[in-house]
Amino acid sequence: MDQSIERASTRPDSATASGAAVREGWWSRLRRAYWWQAYLYLLPAFIVIAIWIYWPVITTLQLSFYEWNLLETTPKIWIGLENYQQILTLPELGLALRNTGLYMVGMLPFSVVLPLLIALLIQGVVGRARTIYRTMIFAPMLMAPVVVATIWSWIMNPVGGLLNRTIQALGGPGNIYWFRDGTLAMLAIIVITGWKLLGFSTLIFSAGLASINAEYNDAASVDGATGWQQIRHITLPLMSPTILFMLMLNVLFSSQWTFPLINVLTQGGPRDATTNIYYLLWQFGFKNFNIGLSTAASVIFFTVFGLLALAFVWLSDRLSFYDS
Amino acid sequence: MLTRVTSRLRLEQVSAHGVLLILAFFSLFPIYWMFVTAVRPANEVFGGSLFPTTTSLENFSYVWNRTPMAKMLTNTFLMALANTVGQLFTSILAAYAFARWRFPGDRVLFLIFIGTWLIPFQVTMIPNYVLVARLGWLNSLAGLVVPQLAAAFAIVLLRGYMKGFPVAVLDAARIDGASSWRTLWSIMVPNLRAPLSALGILLFISHWNEYFWPLLVTNKVENTVIQVGLQFFLTQEGNQWGPLMAASTLASLPIFAIYIVLQRQVIDAFVRSGIR
Repeated sequence: MDQSIERASTRPDSATASGAAVREGWWSRLRRAYWWQAYLYLLPAFIVIAIWIYWPVITTLQLSFYEWNLLETTPKIWIGLENYQQILTLPELGLALRNTGLYMVGMLPFSVVLPLLIALLIQGVVGRARTIYRTMIFAPMLMAPVVVATIWSWIMNPVGGLLNRTIQALGGPGNIYWFRDGTLAMLAIIVITGWKLLGFSTLIFSAGLASINAEYNDAASVDGATGWQQIRHITLPLMSPTILFMLMLNVLFSSQWTFPLINVLTQGGPRDATTNIYYLLWQFGFKNFNIGLSTAASVIFFTVFGLLALAFVWLSDRLSFYDS
Repeated sequence: MLTRVTSRLRLEQVSAHGVLLILAFFSLFPIYWMFVTAVRPANEVFGGSLFPTTTSLENFSYVWNRTPMAKMLTNTFLMALANTVGQLFTSILAAYAFARWRFPGDRVLFLIFIGTWLIPFQVTMIPNYVLVARLGWLNSLAGLVVPQLAAAFAIVLLRGYMKGFPVAVLDAARIDGASSWRTLWSIMVPNLRAPLSALGILLFISHWNEYFWPLLVTNKVENTVIQVGLQFFLTQEGNQWGPLMAASTLASLPIFAIYIVLQRQVIDAFVRSGIR
């Protein structure tokens, strides 16, 4: 997301710079004058992030070498790397990592595949109709995760829930306990999260498609290219920055998106079948009060996700030549 | 030839509308189902048909009287408003600093702000919880608001808009002897009304929907926000679907109200800002 904003913000900047070359002298003088004031303007935001974001990161790192139970009265005991050793041997970690991977893959249809297909299909719809559809399919994105969870747990309720009633009316079994079976529960969480996300990702892809110059496709169809050839050789390559952006969001945030639904609907169960790494951190910290374990795990995951984010930034830099 | 092209176009149009209609139905139906369940009389919640034959506000009066609904909604409103105003204020100031001046360390400082994006909530939650507890801010508005008074993405977004601001206007203000503070509030901010209000709406909605931090720092139902209250309600009285859907409807009403009036700004702000 920083990518797109950065790109948007550099555009007006460079436009003014070249357009106002004559006034360059004034501008640089203006910018230099009283430059020390900048620090004063930065101060409030800086104090907040120093106290509530960067200092806690350091504290988390520090706590990961101690054994502690969150009570002010109990002392913190230095145990070195023991927390890290313990995590890597925990069976829960393997399960949580496997599930995290499954959620990432399971979310792909809703964050990339379907939205891209839908965006391609609906390109021709313009004007007022487009606005109305847009408004409708975007609505789930605005719903609070907890509200989404309550609505779907009512729809998927074994007794009297709309889903089981529909299945029964179609001749199937009408007594499915969606959240008692590990596979079904995970599937349910993926579909619910996907429901919330689909409209948003479709709009992102539509915006990406709209920015592609129509002349490329016109030229290709004059040369006799079929619809599929145009999509394969023109649209998809030009869409690769958007696809990569959504892939990145998917990989980095699918654990965050599923987290509230897991907490409200399954609490990681049945038998840890729906837990993911963030839910594991949460359990270590605020259910078991094992602060050392929780902070050590968060240091590990933070590092891994940070490296993944850097890899994506590097990749999207390499792919950005398609833009010009 | 020409007729073949137009008929193909028409077919494409029809299939596009078909896809969109299915998608719109899929998106809206669960929300509709929440609403119709909420307005059914209590004894009809289970056997409910697709369209309610009789409606009643029973479920609403049940949650209103049995839970501190009004208190929780007020808490949520105050938290969302304070967070929105606070984040807008700190972000306007910081973005102005980055957009207007070049100063030693500006790049590093900007990276430090962007870097907060990469740090997930779960990494900071334990130390922040400890600090809020030490300050005695558990179950208080301060505990809900103060830790989030800076938003990196708001700073980045506003910096972009401010950099696009015409230089000549700032020049003129400076020549007239206006201080940087006055220039900001009497020239810059009024001219950025549109992006600022879009950003404000976005911030308000995301704070209204906030759930995890309030879950950590509040443990009394009368001090908490509506999202946490809903979860208490779901786990304690899991089978009261009528009242639960009524409570969910109440929790979503402000968002829908904003959305119906300002849909375009809301969608644009979300698409522009990514997902947070």
